[in-house]
Amino acid sequence: MLIQLTRGAGQRPSSLLYQRWAIILAAIAGCPSAAAGTSDFDASMFSFSAFGTFGMVHSSDDQADFTAGIFSPNGAGHTHAWSSDVDSRIGAQATADITSRLSAMLQIISQQNYDNTYTPHVEWANIKYQLTPEVSVRVGRTVLPSFLFSDTREIGYSNPWVRPPIEAYSLVPIDHSDGLDASYRVHYRGLTNTLMTAFGNEKSGTPAGLPNEARRLLVIADTVEYGAATLHIAYQQTYVSVDALDGLFEAFRQFGPQGVALADLYNVHDRLVRFMGIGAMYQPGQWFLLGELGSTDFHSVLGKSTAWYVTGGYRLAKFTPYVTYSAVKADSNRSDPGLSLTALPPSLVGPATGLNAALNSILGSIPVQNTTSLGLRWDFVRHLDLKLQYDYTRLGAGSPGTLANLQPGFVPGSTVNLFSATIDFVW
Amino acid sequence: MRSNNRVALTITGLALGLAMSSVRADVVAVVSSKSSLITLSKSQLADIFLGKTQQFPDGSPAVPIDQEEGARVRDEFYVVFTGQSPAQVKAHWSKVIFTGRGKPPRTVSNSEEVRKMITVNPQAISYIERSAVDSTVKVLLQP
Repeated sequence: MLIQLTRGAGQRPSSLLYQRWAIILAAIAGCPSAAAGTSDFDASMFSFSAFGTFGMVHSSDDQADFTAGIFSPNGAGHTHAWSSDVDSRIGAQATADITSRLSAMLQIISQQNYDNTYTPHVEWANIKYQLTPEVSVRVGRTVLPSFLFSDTREIGYSNPWVRPPIEAYSLVPIDHSDGLDASYRVHYRGLTNTLMTAFGNEKSGTPAGLPNEARRLLVIADTVEYGAATLHIAYQQTYVSVDALDGLFEAFRQFGPQGVALADLYNVHDRLVRFMGIGAMYQPGQWFLLGELGSTDFHSVLGKSTAWYVTGGYRLAKFTPYVTYSAVKADSNRSDPGLSLTALPPSLVGPATGLNAALNSILGSIPVQNTTSLGLRWDFVRHLDLKLQYDYTRLGAGSPGTLANLQPGFVPGSTVNLFSATIDFVW
Repeated sequence: MRSNNRVALTITGLALGLAMSSVRADVVAVVSSKSSLITLSKSQLADIFLGKTQQFPDGSPAVPIDQEEGARVRDEFYVVFTGQSPAQVKAHWSKVIFTGRGKPPRTVSNSEEVRKMITVNPQAISYIERSAVDSTVKVLLQP
């Protein structure tokens, strides 16, 4: 077994709802005549696909973990010398073309969850209606097209790298929307323009300290394709809450006007988060070049960050060597003097010092780092590829970068060597 | 036999760094002889087969027909007319399928099947070996 499946308490709270969704989808898909009022049933309306990655990662820094993202509990470095949790996953999808205009899709992925289980979750579950050849609407769960590869970041086979550059792709912790979206696609003289907008919510049920609720999510994205060139622009805004931090800012509010001011500035309770991204890709055949730039403003203690990357590759028959440079910087303060201790009665100096330390530890974790990557993709058999990638990461002064599980011996601002090997498949 | 050829091709490609031109191009794009379509550019053909448009330039619906994955004529078609390797085409459709944006063209098993499909459907467009061309089809594009 490449992927260990465990059952446990790791289900997202919303997964029950989605099991119900799945049943409804299956029911609709199973009785097309009832749903569509036609009798053109044939088995070919269903299609099944699957994808997966098995990967191993080694990090040179054993005092911290390189993880798949902020929702991962551990990874390579401290917890495991070689971790298979960072990149390994398996996904399955069923699509039903109920009529020529109405279709439904359900995609389930098993990968490392925040609680270290591999309980599958619903990645996509929606019903799509094609109003006209140009306009379609979807209801249900979709993955947001924030960056060029955001909605396919799990499909290793379709991506040039082992994984999308973490500096940029970690800027958008909210990646799903449960709601509505509409897409308008026109093709004119070889130019294809796709404008999409989505509106919804996300409740992820993640553990302490992570964004666990995003409400009133709004996304507008436009993609222009012309021959080998693609241009993608996205704007995204939502109201994010990290319930686990409410207690900290409640405590600040007990310290009079200066505490209230700090709590108002830094709290993460229904705070407007804005993301803006732009990316371009050119792949005429033998070689490709792509780059993206994105910025997220959390309007809170989570800060404001800007990241960018450039990747280039050259295809030599079944081998595609590639190189990437990516960087993320903080556009907001990474420390704060916090509560002034001088005016406080001696009994409150201790608690205030503790609160200041907590505030600064969160501000200090806003990532600053850059990475140079060298990789090789080998399409060794049809539908399978093998990728090897070396990442050299320089952490910003005093920054842990995107590393997690920092140990007492961890040195901020150091450098990290990362070795990754993955096998991707699609079916 | 076929895989031996492919290995040979791969080695040639690697040695010369000219994987593209080492593919012997004897694939042609075809429509029904009854089709009113007269010309199509390479990029228009690529857009139809990569799902970027569902229409011919005159606005009439286009129904692309693919040959099976692994078929030599298919690999050649995509390299010659879209500049993409079989893996790149697969990666492209993986992106489309797993985001629910569409599905790849219908597939038939050989050039004879292609001709049959095309004969009954004037909206169909496909590709066959040059040697498989007969009076039922019209060659739109050749390498």
